[in-house]
Amino acid sequence: MKSKVITILWPLAFGIALILAWQFGLFHKVLDLKPFQLPVPSEIASTLAANLPKALKDCGVTISGALVGMIIGSLMGFMIAAIATFFPKWGYGGMIVVTALNAVPIVALSPIMNLWFSTGMEQKIAVVTVVCMAAMAINGYSGLNNINPYSIDLMHSVAASEWTIFKKLRFPNSLPYIFTASKINIASSIIAAIISEYFAASTSGLGFGIKDNLRKAEMAMGWSYIVVASLAGVILYCVILLVERDALKWHASQK
Amino acid sequence: MKKSKFTSLLAVIILILLVATGCSSGNSAATTTGTGTSGADKTTSGKLDKVTLQLKWLPQSQFMGYYVAQAKGYYKDAGIDIEILPGGSDIIPEQQVYNGVANIGVTWDSSLMKYQSKGWGLVQVGQIFQKSAMLLVSKASSGINSPKDLKGKKVGSWFGGNEYEIYALLEANGLNKDTDLKMVQQDYTMNQLLKDEIDATSAMTYNEYGLLLESGLKESDLHVLNMNDAGVAMLEDCLFVNSDWIAKNEDLYVRFLKASIKGWAEACANPEAAGKVVFDVDQSVSLAHQVYMAKEVAKLVVPKDFDPAKIGYMDMAAIQQTADLALKYGLLSKPAVISENTFTSKYWTKATAK
Repeated sequence: MKSKVITILWPLAFGIALILAWQFGLFHKVLDLKPFQLPVPSEIASTLAANLPKALKDCGVTISGALVGMIIGSLMGFMIAAIATFFPKWGYGGMIVVTALNAVPIVALSPIMNLWFSTGMEQKIAVVTVVCMAAMAINGYSGLNNINPYSIDLMHSVAASEWTIFKKLRFPNSLPYIFTASKINIASSIIAAIISEYFAASTSGLGFGIKDNLRKAEMAMGWSYIVVASLAGVILYCVILLVERDALKWHASQK
Repeated sequence: MKKSKFTSLLAVIILILLVATGCSSGNSAATTTGTGTSGADKTTSGKLDKVTLQLKWLPQSQFMGYYVAQAKGYYKDAGIDIEILPGGSDIIPEQQVYNGVANIGVTWDSSLMKYQSKGWGLVQVGQIFQKSAMLLVSKASSGINSPKDLKGKKVGSWFGGNEYEIYALLEANGLNKDTDLKMVQQDYTMNQLLKDEIDATSAMTYNEYGLLLESGLKESDLHVLNMNDAGVAMLEDCLFVNSDWIAKNEDLYVRFLKASIKGWAEACANPEAAGKVVFDVDQSVSLAHQVYMAKEVAKLVVPKDFDPAKIGYMDMAAIQQTADLALKYGLLSKPAVISENTFTSKYWTKATAK
């Protein structure tokens, strides 16, 4: 119990020290910055409080686009992994294509999606979908195929069909991999959504808010959007962690 | 064994690269501090003073005066070694000049006022464009004949400070920018209007309007709302500097301005040739477009009935109107302070003195 308290206390103390150093101008001194270049935490907090409804609305736009894109992208990624597993001869080509797509930078992808879709939301979902496909496809493929050889021999010895093997063996085996991919995807989906908003044909969302305010010398407002974006990312990451703990408890007991 | 050999080789390579880049950046830092201390001593000694100019946008005829002055050696004659830095969507001249990346910047007055109001020590020292080039363009088929017709439409802007003339236009005509219509962010092409994804688009007379004409539309296919006609014009391209820099480099700036005005006068007198000069510097757009732009920009720098000898003149009434509009339509939260410390024509007076 005592050690648990310490593991929480240390990072907390470190975080508070960091914010205090920021507030009292240590960073400004070291980096030779003026408060109008890097606003202090108290100013960011008061700006955020004054603009909370707008910030939350923009956060909702970004997060909903990120989540929808992540779900579509993850499903498609997993389907590609499943196809590659069922039809290894030609299905693996899909994996290669997805890996290649993964290398396309988001800043290149966003203007392309602008040409293909007319609203900011569609464009954002499309960008996030592409970004999330690869991590899920690669991890999913590992999960569906890194299985105990004895288990698959046993399945074959009782004449199980490929579908039964998938249902009873491959899919449960892939669950930890799916969660690993989800943890990667939740972070990258928010990043992708925010960057896509830099280019999107809309004026809502955290990305637009960050870009627009930093250009217009509204540094405190820009920073409050950055704070909201990172808080949203942390919260969603924690949600995935909790779901994983539940789902894998079941998985571990099956083993 | 082999694997670890490869890894250590990689580590050595990375180390070498790090050291190399560390050294080179150290060198460039040394050179910039070296030039910073150079005195006002001019051509007699043959030593040139280095001046860096930060543009607001890509190298194009919008900035032809500086390119002509550079190409014709006017800066060199004034004892200046000029470096012209291109801008871009996320290069903010105010930040570049304040941080010392550049000595002199080109920006819009309204944007500069915003930075000044936040405490950035910047001062406006010359007004190159006398008129606003901002248009709101729609297809004639969408029936937007007056600002009031924008109700319920999708209207594009680049934002980041470029939206306030549009806001002023809307609100001056009794439209609420948030509820009566939909403002969307537009990209740097005209595709959204051409594909009918938006009903009206922001366009500069010298650039995007030309793109629309080049895409095959005729002037009769387009309807234009001009900010100057609507009485909501804000001033655009101006020159500004860091207050600390100008205090030490007054003479250098006057020489720069004098050479620039000479370049601008020549460019405006012969925009075809100026367009070619700019095209020779940067081929990112066609020669025809650079020449089109040069002709349109000339109309902003030397409007009708404007004495070309007065290029760079600061019309305080127009600056005040820009400040008033910026305050009224929400860019500024308090009135802009227009004084010798924020907008000063004293260098221009010196540069244009006979």
